[in-house]
Amino acid sequence: MTCCGNASLRRIHTGLSPALFFPALRGRAFSFWIGLVSLMAWPIPVAAAPAPIQTNFADEAILARLPDAVPRSTRLPPSAAAMAEEVQALIDQARGSGDPRFLGYAERRFQQWPDDAMTDRLRVLRATLAQSLHRFDEARQDLAEVLNRSADRRQRIQARLTLANLETVQGRYHQARAHCQRLSTEFPGLIAASCLAQVDARSGATRAAYDRLANQLAAAGNTGSAGYLWARGTLGDIAAQLGLASAEAHWQAVLASSPTDLYTRTQLADWYLRNGQVQSVMALTLGYEQVDALAVLRVIAMRRTGHPDQDGLANRIRERFEEAQWRGALLHKRDFARFQLAIEERPDIALRHAMANWETQREPLDTALALRAAIAADDQAAVRTLRNWLEQTGQSDARYPELP
Amino acid sequence: MSRSAPCMRLIAAVLLMFPLATPALAHKASDSFLYVDTGQSELRIDVALRDLALLMPLDRNGDQQLSGREVRAQRAVITRTLEEAVTVASASGSCSLTGTDWGISTHSDGHYSAARYRLGCPNGEAPQTLSYTLLFDRDSLHRGLVRIDSGDRHTLAVLSPAERTVNLLPGTAPGAWGIFTTFLYEGVIHLLIGLDHILFLLVLVLPASLMSASPGSTGPPGLRPRLIQLAGIVTAFTLAHSVTLALAALGIVRLPVAWIETVIALSIALAALNVVWPVFGRKTWRLAFAFGLVHGFGFASVLGDLTGGEANLAVALAGFNLGVEVGQLGLLVLGFPMLYLLARFRLYQRALVPAVLAGVGGISLLWVIERAASI
Repeated sequence: MTCCGNASLRRIHTGLSPALFFPALRGRAFSFWIGLVSLMAWPIPVAAAPAPIQTNFADEAILARLPDAVPRSTRLPPSAAAMAEEVQALIDQARGSGDPRFLGYAERRFQQWPDDAMTDRLRVLRATLAQSLHRFDEARQDLAEVLNRSADRRQRIQARLTLANLETVQGRYHQARAHCQRLSTEFPGLIAASCLAQVDARSGATRAAYDRLANQLAAAGNTGSAGYLWARGTLGDIAAQLGLASAEAHWQAVLASSPTDLYTRTQLADWYLRNGQVQSVMALTLGYEQVDALAVLRVIAMRRTGHPDQDGLANRIRERFEEAQWRGALLHKRDFARFQLAIEERPDIALRHAMANWETQREPLDTALALRAAIAADDQAAVRTLRNWLEQTGQSDARYPELP
Repeated sequence: MSRSAPCMRLIAAVLLMFPLATPALAHKASDSFLYVDTGQSELRIDVALRDLALLMPLDRNGDQQLSGREVRAQRAVITRTLEEAVTVASASGSCSLTGTDWGISTHSDGHYSAARYRLGCPNGEAPQTLSYTLLFDRDSLHRGLVRIDSGDRHTLAVLSPAERTVNLLPGTAPGAWGIFTTFLYEGVIHLLIGLDHILFLLVLVLPASLMSASPGSTGPPGLRPRLIQLAGIVTAFTLAHSVTLALAALGIVRLPVAWIETVIALSIALAALNVVWPVFGRKTWRLAFAFGLVHGFGFASVLGDLTGGEANLAVALAGFNLGVEVGQLGLLVLGFPMLYLLARFRLYQRALVPAVLAGVGGISLLWVIERAASI
């Protein structure tokens, strides 16, 4: 939390005017103290008491469902290749399910693995892991090492692409563009084209980036390839930035062939929510309550429709975030901030976390949330910080309606 | 996507790994919950069934589901595994764990095994440390979330691969008392560095130092009535800002800070004006109370910056409020005698007080303009 630490956080305007006098309260000092004492005793959940221990649970009750791909033992894989396969499977599992336990298993593996047995592939995987744990500098270091030293073309390309993505996510478009350009000479195709289009779109040339990538996609023709889907996903992102309705079709195409792409699912659910298509949000997030980002979008949609389970879901999310705060490391600051803003209606807390998140991640959804929180909390300094950065990068986005 | 040509596999690998950075996603990471009651000498440990299944063959029929029967059948293995991973010690050595309850419980991500133990420490001593190693060799992100209850104090702690032992003795962990003293300090500091509150206080206090002879009496009143008046003013200010500080900090009433800050600046100017032309009357305590309400919202914005979702908000609030009072009283104890002494000189009343009032009034009006501009 660097940026918001010193800024004065503002509170929301509730429609009450600043009260100079409360005539009805005047002269009743005693009742004030009573009131104050009762306020002090307001129940604040401090790691609420645990649920009771149930001793007579039913034999037939299904208490837990177990995932498949968990490491069966603490014994290390016999070779670097086997290690890479295992770690890759764990990272894929984490990505597809949104379950961070798999990241913990993978990291434990790396801790056990001897340094002198690291390979380029393992280094790229370790960087990917670090990146998903938001340890961006560690990731950068591993990737730079592969790019500097490795002769393995495949790992170099993978490292280049991962680094380009990392720089894009952090809003360092200059660095990201350099990596995308290198990628387009080392590995030309739709993936490199998407890489460049994404960076161009984020730094001012949004419409041109969209048209160019759409043309490249049409020219490529191969609708079954991975590059094709990659480009569709990127076109969805850029279309959303432009406020084009085609965003939906692009993202739907990606989801149709990889339903576990949680990134795309989140983008699309957010898109529906912004467009007031609440029922589509409900359909898209059904069965994804365990994923913070989707659960938060779902509960906001529920609130908009007065869904009977809105309080139930809000309570489950709240408990999850309380446990995460007890843990001390809040991995999903954006989701937490959005929950605070939309459900808890605490713009000050929302802004604090949205800005802390924005310090490390500057995707449009991160920036959009930070802006909304800053305006809701009436924090001009934060608004200025965001606005300056957007001007500096030339970024505009239909999802920042607050800005001219 | 899963064609076997090398280039395609590369792309597939690329595609699988690429989006990981962007989504902020997850279930939740693995946590165990340990509740220690040092007064009752009790320990409760809750471990997710999913996590236990990593350590022992819980899923006997291999259907990737854990039934009540399967969990119950492994009760002995579960409790033995826990007891090997947890050590409680007092000054003289390890404490024994005697199981009292065992069953299941729920946390945000599902069912947990829950076991309660009575702690038997050597020579009847109080437990001093808790060490925990469960699952650390499987999952680097696993944590033991500890709540220590000692009397009516609750302390939270976290056990991790790097930090496997927690001190259970009161006073060693930053508990409610630590939060209280931290915020007490913040309250004092905020009052002292917040020039607007000090100026407001100064302007309120000036009339008490100037009290002129009331009609019918023989001379200017002594120290006693002045102190009484002063106490009235300070109490009214305190009461008022305590109330609004609490209302705002607890999120019951929220007002835009830019407005509040403007009104605070205006309040100083009006209070200064009131010394010369008592438009709000001679009863300064009323003025102190009314504007105190506004100043409370001002304190709250600072408190909000400091706490931001702090769990012990009530404790923080009490500490902060008391800190503001301490700072205020400290200033008065030092400043008022000086004003009282100065009041004996005609020059004080004739020149110094008007100069101070004009200065304070001017500064505060400048603030009003500045702050109103940022609304």
